[in-house]
Amino acid sequence: MSRDIVIGAGLAGLCAALRLAQAGRPVTLVAKGAGGLGLSQGTIDILGYAPDRVFAPLDAVGAVASDHPYSGIGPDAVAASAAWLRDELGPELLVGDPGVNLHLPTALGSIRPTCLAQPSMVEGAIVGGRRYAVVGVRQLKDFSPELVAGNLARTPAPDGGAIEAHPAWIDLPARPGEADASGLTYARALDDVAFADAFAAAVAAVAGECDVVLLPAVLGLRRLGVWRQVSARVGRPVAEVPLQPPSVPGIRLYEALLGRLRAAGVRHVQGSLVTGFQAKDGRLRSVTVAAAGGPRELAAAHVVYAPGGFESGALAVDSYGTIAERLFGLPLTASSSPDLVGPDFWAPHRLFQVGVRTDAAGRPVDGEAAVYANLYAAGGLIAGAERWREKSGDGIAVATAVRAADAIIGGAA
Amino acid sequence: MSKDEAKRLRERLNNELNRATLDHCVKCTICEQSCPVSAVTPLFSGPKFVGPQAERFRDGESVDHSVDYCSSCGTCSVVCPQGVKVAELNSLARAVMKAEHGIPVRDRLITQTTLMGRAMTPLAPVANAVLGNSAARRVMELAVGVAASAPMPTAHGQTLRGWLKKRPAPTKAPTRGPVIFFHGCAGAFFETEAAKAAIEVLEHLGFEVIVPEQGCCGLAEQSNGLFAQASDAVLKLVGQLRAPGTAAPVVSVAGSCGGMLKHEAHEILGLDDPDLADVGRRTRDISEFLMELYDAGELPTDFAPIPLRVPYHQPCQVRSQGMGMPAADLLRLIPELEVVESNAVCCGIAGTYGLKKEKYEIAQAVGKPLFDLVLELNQGLAACDTETCRWQIAKSTGVKTVHPIQLVHQAYGLGRLPGLG
Repeated sequence: MSRDIVIGAGLAGLCAALRLAQAGRPVTLVAKGAGGLGLSQGTIDILGYAPDRVFAPLDAVGAVASDHPYSGIGPDAVAASAAWLRDELGPELLVGDPGVNLHLPTALGSIRPTCLAQPSMVEGAIVGGRRYAVVGVRQLKDFSPELVAGNLARTPAPDGGAIEAHPAWIDLPARPGEADASGLTYARALDDVAFADAFAAAVAAVAGECDVVLLPAVLGLRRLGVWRQVSARVGRPVAEVPLQPPSVPGIRLYEALLGRLRAAGVRHVQGSLVTGFQAKDGRLRSVTVAAAGGPRELAAAHVVYAPGGFESGALAVDSYGTIAERLFGLPLTASSSPDLVGPDFWAPHRLFQVGVRTDAAGRPVDGEAAVYANLYAAGGLIAGAERWREKSGDGIAVATAVRAADAIIGGAA
Repeated sequence: MSKDEAKRLRERLNNELNRATLDHCVKCTICEQSCPVSAVTPLFSGPKFVGPQAERFRDGESVDHSVDYCSSCGTCSVVCPQGVKVAELNSLARAVMKAEHGIPVRDRLITQTTLMGRAMTPLAPVANAVLGNSAARRVMELAVGVAASAPMPTAHGQTLRGWLKKRPAPTKAPTRGPVIFFHGCAGAFFETEAAKAAIEVLEHLGFEVIVPEQGCCGLAEQSNGLFAQASDAVLKLVGQLRAPGTAAPVVSVAGSCGGMLKHEAHEILGLDDPDLADVGRRTRDISEFLMELYDAGELPTDFAPIPLRVPYHQPCQVRSQGMGMPAADLLRLIPELEVVESNAVCCGIAGTYGLKKEKYEIAQAVGKPLFDLVLELNQGLAACDTETCRWQIAKSTGVKTVHPIQLVHQAYGLGRLPGLG
């Protein structure tokens, strides 16, 4: 029996698999590892810079160049896909309006435009005239209140106003004897109600005069709503600021999506690389998975290919500067890298816009024609955007995953 | 342990092809996010620290002794999105460290599973009484360091071989060809019910079930750093499983031991043996085997309903076989059986890890989310593919824990699990 095969467990792969399974299709998700969501900020960017700061992302999506991944999808479909994901995860995990960007503080004290965020983060939006306390924990690595507060205080708010920010510290080990615990260790400790109470009491004691208390994003891993408990004790709104990986808000999204996938009946093959495929008459028949012991052929009705780009090894540059796609050998927008990387590290590099082009259904094309009639691409593999510069990777992943899934569902019906 | 063995293992570690995968590590922390041990104790600094980071400094020295607290669950390699062989390299690094510093007598004793089975079976009531006696267990803990509260196998008066000899010959002629059955040490001696159910299900489906004489796969020795002994054991087993022929599938009811044949003996012990590779290619977990039949449209699904909610735990060393979760998929084919996946990384026991007195509490903390879930949701039964994990769940929750194939056995009308309508 053929199943829809989704390759990749990042945001795009998870969304495609969920959407297909909810339509009643048999789905197998195959991934080399755990996917990158646990490294993410746990928010959904749609478009943050174009190239100036974006306040209304859907308007900016409507104005992208014709070779951008959003072109051909359009603002309405982008909004609908983001809203679908938000409603799938529910208001305890994701809130916001796809038409409006939030401007949230980072762990370096910069201000980051994003669109959908976790409810524990939204009170941290940087608004002129507000006073922020930034509270760190002595035994937690990677969050320095002086750095965050200092940078925020010298940065104009996106609305043009000025803000105040001051640092404070609490001293509360998550585990005895550990001087530099990760955010994940704190999040697990804060799943415990009593520890969360002690944490909240310590924060309340040092926060001082402020409208909002910014805290490292460690407020519980499995117990959602710890932020409410802390906020009630502190007597003011609190907001989580995402840290570098291991990123607790990202892990929350990953675990929630995986749970929904399994509940929807998706088979999840983890830790196995897809190493090959069989095709006949312009269609993929199966993909080959390197399971323990030997290869397994998974018969494929359709394949959604969501492996990421250069960061995952799906796209690679060899020692001759040749750019290639690892598995299907798909045609790319460029095949030679040396001219695509400029001398200025901070400037845009066209290399990172290299990827596959697709037709209106999301199928990789060679010229105008789909490479395989039943192969769809989603997420970071698709050409035309330098995602971390634009802050567009999540929105592209969700929108292209939904496009691929809906093309399969529609075609099958 | 001889200095020669330490030198040999060190030489292997330094020249291991897998070692090149360390360069793929981007320090992303995904392995740390999933490690069940570092989640509950600061005594283990986590797979990334003792692996890709410490490895750079292992030039003739074992630099991070906390690698001894790794339970060998293998999860770090499963979740690594860059293909780094974290678990394999850490297992080898630990074997080197133990070879250099000496292996406790306790670790040599608890790995002798076949010997235990042979010795205990004729003395089953006595052996069970001793292992069930708390005073005797406290003496064991003090004398050799086996935790007094850790789960111990129960001996039976009859081995699987004894049952095979005494039972009436199958009346139905095979319609599907032969399979070679791998039951593991537990299936032979301690927990023959799962193995019997698997044999009867396979025969019910029309297979000719060949059960060759077979010893231990060496997994317990491997995870205790006894690589030479583990290699001897697994290669001997490979020969035994090849004796009946080299075409038929090898079907395993021993969840984690199947993984030893499929990949661990090659990846961790470094065995490049064509016979091992042949057996690994042909080995299928029993649930994987049945789901392959199902996907090919060749599995009868005339299952009788089992109106029950059953928590199911996939062991870490079954997950690492890269086949998805076939037992859960299989159980879902049984009408009215509600399968709740544990979503737990590990039950804590990790073969022999949780038996050790210095690791017992860590193992229980690792398993706690699983135990809580089983306690909350069970209706008299839990299911799990690996023997030691079943003993760990049953001991820690008091809930009877069976192999998934025992539910399939009942659903095919081949028997009834005690206590189930």
